[in-house]
Amino acid sequence: MNAAYAILRKDLQLEFRSKESILAMWIFSLLIFVIFNFTFEVSRLVMLEIAPGLLWVAFIFSGMFGLNHSFAVEKEHGNLRAMALMPVDGSQIYLGKFLSVTVIMLMFEMLIFPIFIIFYDLQLSLNMLLLIPVLLAGTIGFTSLGTILSGVSVQTRNQQILLSLLLWPLVSPIIIWSVTLTSMVLGGNIAGGFYPLLVRVISFDVIFFTISYLLFNFILED
Amino acid sequence: MKATIDKVLLIILLVAFLVSLYLVFIWAPQIKASNASEQIAQKIFYYHVPSAWLGFLSFFVVFIASVAYLWTRDRKYELLSVASAEIGILFITLVLLTGPIWAKPVWGIWWTWDARLTSSLILWLIYIAFLMLRRYLPDGSKRANLSAVVGIIGFVDVPIVYYSIRWWETQHPKAIMASSEGSLATPMFIAFMFTLTTFTVLYVYLVRQRLQLLKLEDLVTKQFKEMEIL
Repeated sequence: MNAAYAILRKDLQLEFRSKESILAMWIFSLLIFVIFNFTFEVSRLVMLEIAPGLLWVAFIFSGMFGLNHSFAVEKEHGNLRAMALMPVDGSQIYLGKFLSVTVIMLMFEMLIFPIFIIFYDLQLSLNMLLLIPVLLAGTIGFTSLGTILSGVSVQTRNQQILLSLLLWPLVSPIIIWSVTLTSMVLGGNIAGGFYPLLVRVISFDVIFFTISYLLFNFILED
Repeated sequence: MKATIDKVLLIILLVAFLVSLYLVFIWAPQIKASNASEQIAQKIFYYHVPSAWLGFLSFFVVFIASVAYLWTRDRKYELLSVASAEIGILFITLVLLTGPIWAKPVWGIWWTWDARLTSSLILWLIYIAFLMLRRYLPDGSKRANLSAVVGIIGFVDVPIVYYSIRWWETQHPKAIMASSEGSLATPMFIAFMFTLTTFTVLYVYLVRQRLQLLKLEDLVTKQFKEMEIL
């Protein structure tokens, strides 16, 4: 547990000093909104329909940056090897990395969300609080698989592209459901099926997390 | 001994595929359909479904071999997972090709973002990534470990992908053999089961061949290494 906490603290400290990940993710999302705006010139009504999807496109594209960065910094100074040699279980390293990536990504989501609301002229309401569990569940699903796959791809010759190739098809169920949940909340249509679906996302988060937690040891071995 | 088994398998396959062609195209009755192209397109079902079954079987073998590798660290399981993944991709590719050939005359479109179609495409992408990962790594225990981990996560994900997309409305024909609303006519069922069995034998044959080739590659590499030392 201590090792996981130490990694989390180190990563967050690094992030708060440099703000490298969050800033890059934020600007990148802004760019996605801008580019989207002039590649699909659509009316406001259509925009409202596609906004939830757009939000998640911004999250996963920017999230890739955070995931790649998380292990790339370790590789630069041979830290990955040092981590593998630490006298702790590999799953602790997974836990630390997972927590730091998730916290960073959630902070980025919090910072981009107001921009999203302004750009797409969404009405603020109390219902929107329901987005908090949706974003949490979706993000955790994304990062739990993303962390182990980033650990896999960082050890290859082509880290950046490989992480997308591995992660996107595997995480597609979580993304599909998160988009659905988000559009339910934004459309004010939470009566039917919102909570069962949310529970489903959470239960698959648990599956993804557990399997990654158990397998992480193997990817550090030589 | 091994060579004999392979020869026997090959002969069985040659005969069985000829029989299967006869059963499918001549013996089994045509379906009743409004136009001729739809009638003949239905025949693709006898090859489309067995290909899908082989895809799943292959990826299940990838999963078992990956677990076995992490358990025993025996190279032969690593090679088995590679052989099976390649063959699985081959058959899912066939599924993705035969599907549109059927869909064009029946639905009027090649492709639609339908539940079954989308999940098959995602399945294909998962295992393409598995092989790409191996491409980007040098041979060795590192590569074996990483690909085994991805082989396991990939297979656990397969039912989740199918589940997640299932509740979309699907236009894809239902699995009629398992449902109550209707069943295949007996000759159709026999022709189908025969083709399915033939395909499964084909899988066994292909895996054996691919494994042999991979082992030979290993042998050659080893000998090259020894020569360099000398």
